[in-house]
Amino acid sequence: MMEFFTVKRIDNSRLVRQVAPQQWREFGGPALVVTLLAAILLVYAAQYYQCLSVRYQVEELKAARSEALELNQQLKLEAASLRAPLRIDMIARNRLGLTAPVPGQVTPVAAPAGAMMAQASRSQASQ
Amino acid sequence: MDRRPPSTRILYLAIFAALWMGAVDARLSYLQLFKYSDYLARARRQQQRIVEVTPLRGNLYDRNLREMAMSISLDSCFAVPAEISNPEMVARLLAGVLGVHTEEIETRLDGSRSFVWIARKLQPEIVERIQALNLRGIYFQKEHRRFYPKGELAAHVLGYVDIDDRGLGGIEYQFEQQLRTPASRMLVLADARRRWYERHGPNQARDTSLVLTLDENIQFIAEKELAAAIARTHAKAGTVIVQDPNSGELLAVANWPTFDPNSAGSSAPEARMDRAISALYEPGSTFKVITLAAALEEHLTHADELIDCQMGAIYIGKHRIRDHKPYGMLTVSQILSNSSDVGAIKLGLRLGPEKFHHYIRAFGFGTASGVELPGETRGLVRRVEAWSAISIGAVSMGQEVGVTPVQLAGAISAIANGGLLYRPRVVREIHHGGLIVPETQEPPARVVRPETAATLRSMLEGVIREGTGKKARLNGYTAGGKTGTAQKIDPATGRYSGHEYISSFVGFAPLNSPVVTVLVALDAAVGAHGGGDIAAPVFQQVTQQTLAYLRVAPDMPLQSPTEQAPSAHPQQSVKEEDLSDFDPAQVADATAAAVPGPENLSSREADGAGSAGKSAHATVVVEDGQGIVVPQFGGMTVRNFIEECMRLGFNPVPVGTGIAVDQLPAPGLQARPGSRVVVRFTPRAATQTLAQKEK
Repeated sequence: MMEFFTVKRIDNSRLVRQVAPQQWREFGGPALVVTLLAAILLVYAAQYYQCLSVRYQVEELKAARSEALELNQQLKLEAASLRAPLRIDMIARNRLGLTAPVPGQVTPVAAPAGAMMAQASRSQASQ
Repeated sequence: MDRRPPSTRILYLAIFAALWMGAVDARLSYLQLFKYSDYLARARRQQQRIVEVTPLRGNLYDRNLREMAMSISLDSCFAVPAEISNPEMVARLLAGVLGVHTEEIETRLDGSRSFVWIARKLQPEIVERIQALNLRGIYFQKEHRRFYPKGELAAHVLGYVDIDDRGLGGIEYQFEQQLRTPASRMLVLADARRRWYERHGPNQARDTSLVLTLDENIQFIAEKELAAAIARTHAKAGTVIVQDPNSGELLAVANWPTFDPNSAGSSAPEARMDRAISALYEPGSTFKVITLAAALEEHLTHADELIDCQMGAIYIGKHRIRDHKPYGMLTVSQILSNSSDVGAIKLGLRLGPEKFHHYIRAFGFGTASGVELPGETRGLVRRVEAWSAISIGAVSMGQEVGVTPVQLAGAISAIANGGLLYRPRVVREIHHGGLIVPETQEPPARVVRPETAATLRSMLEGVIREGTGKKARLNGYTAGGKTGTAQKIDPATGRYSGHEYISSFVGFAPLNSPVVTVLVALDAAVGAHGGGDIAAPVFQQVTQQTLAYLRVAPDMPLQSPTEQAPSAHPQQSVKEEDLSDFDPAQVADATAAAVPGPENLSSREADGAGSAGKSAHATVVVEDGQGIVVPQFGGMTVRNFIEECMRLGFNPVPVGTGIAVDQLPAPGLQARPGSRVVVRFTPRAATQTLAQKEK
């Protein structure tokens, strides 16, 4: 048995969608406002969270600075303890076997004029 | 299919939305109106923390900006007992770490208080161990702890602080307001993970640090030599002061006994006493410098005037005062170098109580010196109206007055610098943040003329060169100074003790451009107690090392150790004693029958004052005959002087031109061949004018 199919062509190209300017106006206005508000909200939120993030960073840096200052102070204390005259005197006498200079053994010599310049030029030459 | 018109659906939707919004509004209103305070408090508890900002204490530096005292932050452990459910267990665990009794901590935790300290200013390793226990209700807070990195060095000047960092002594106490920033609180906003993201409150104040006038190396020299002297003499206490005479700045203040300010609480109270400013003592013979300064300033005498020292005894009123040695005729210079009590008393009598009292006060005695240290004693100088008949004699030789070491050092500094009395200072600058504020120095007060000071300097050199202070002689530097040995008053009897003395030496160097004034005082030395015996060597050691450290160029040839030894000088046969046996408290016991009347005293005084001739040879004590007797060079020309010196074997040192008017050593003394003989020459016109004035 043979079956036949027929094709029905529908052409909607001549259909024209009716423009409703009133509806567009009713929809477009609120949409624009909502979009604007959303944008403002997003910008505000972004700024807020960025500010919060910066606050965290500032606090972290303050804490790091405080710790660095504290460490610096501790190192200064340690250096000052190590530079104590009594400690140096004991090391000099007991460990190194040094004795105090007798009068006249140490002769202070004033640096000649231009000594700093000579030192600087020598260090530059070595570099 | 719903066939209802759209308006009905919108109406339902609007009603649903209104109900929903109404429910939300009702809930919000409830929370806002009725639960606001509860949730606000809960939010604050979660987000906000009040952080105690512990007071920061500024550093103390020496004059070369080397740290003397500084603070670092440490953790302190505290508990909130209300948050601890099992105090016994917590106390047991903490006690194991802290090394204290469990009951002690348990007692602290047993209460309804919201805050209790467990342990303060802990070492980091202990903090880590407590943190590892992870105990609920146990927290930490940062606090500052004061450290003195040089230990006992300059302890009395620096002072110390208590557990709350409050200054209790020395500079720490005196400059509490400047050094310590006030305690404050800071509001911190934290998130759920306790991370801080905002803080409100006062900014950490800029720290204020002090730069002291002390030099830690000179301070070490002074303390080292003082400790060595204490070990040698077994003295109960001692003080060494090193001062810059040209500014009044104290370069070192050493006291014994001393203490470690890092653990001041464990030291004895007497060890914390700053004797340099608070120990009152009778200066003894060192005060004769003031007597002579006043007499010279008032033109009542001059360095070469001969005064009859009456073979060591003088009567004030009906009371006899004996010298430590029977001197005859002595020049004023020799009175100082030999520390003759009778000579000093005679000069004091010439001054009279009013003028003498005026000069004593002018030199700063009887008033606080103004040094920036707490607890300074004014000293003891009685009003003239309160002086007894013998006071003028006693004060002339350093009795019946009470001075502090810093006062005496300041007075000698005035002699050293040409007559200007500076306020002693220990603070040089104040560093406030990055700003340096130098401490203001009041203009010094002139107490004597430069000429008087120069004369005294020359006379004080004689004390070291040929008098009681030979053991203070420096190698390579000229110096001047005065010994002192004063009997202490026995508190039990109110009289002078027969076995306890204050042995002292005060001097300066170099002679003509003094860089340092050094005072040494030893309290109640055992055995030898003469200032020239035990205090002068300390002066020598401290000054010699200090001048070398300060790179002061020597102003005289260096000597070998054998030349330097005092025993090598035959002139040192003069007995190094400067102690009077006079006890004002015992005058009531003196017998009036054996003493001549006051008129006798005045006649003797008149004789001594008027005899300014050159018949001094008979009264100069020369006890051995190993040297060459120094002749009288007075009136000679430079050529004659040099020829005479060459003939005798001396080393001539002429100063000036014209006619010889002054000489060192004094005529009649013995000197070794090759010794320097310094003679001052003035033009003939000036000599004639001087002679006319004397007439």
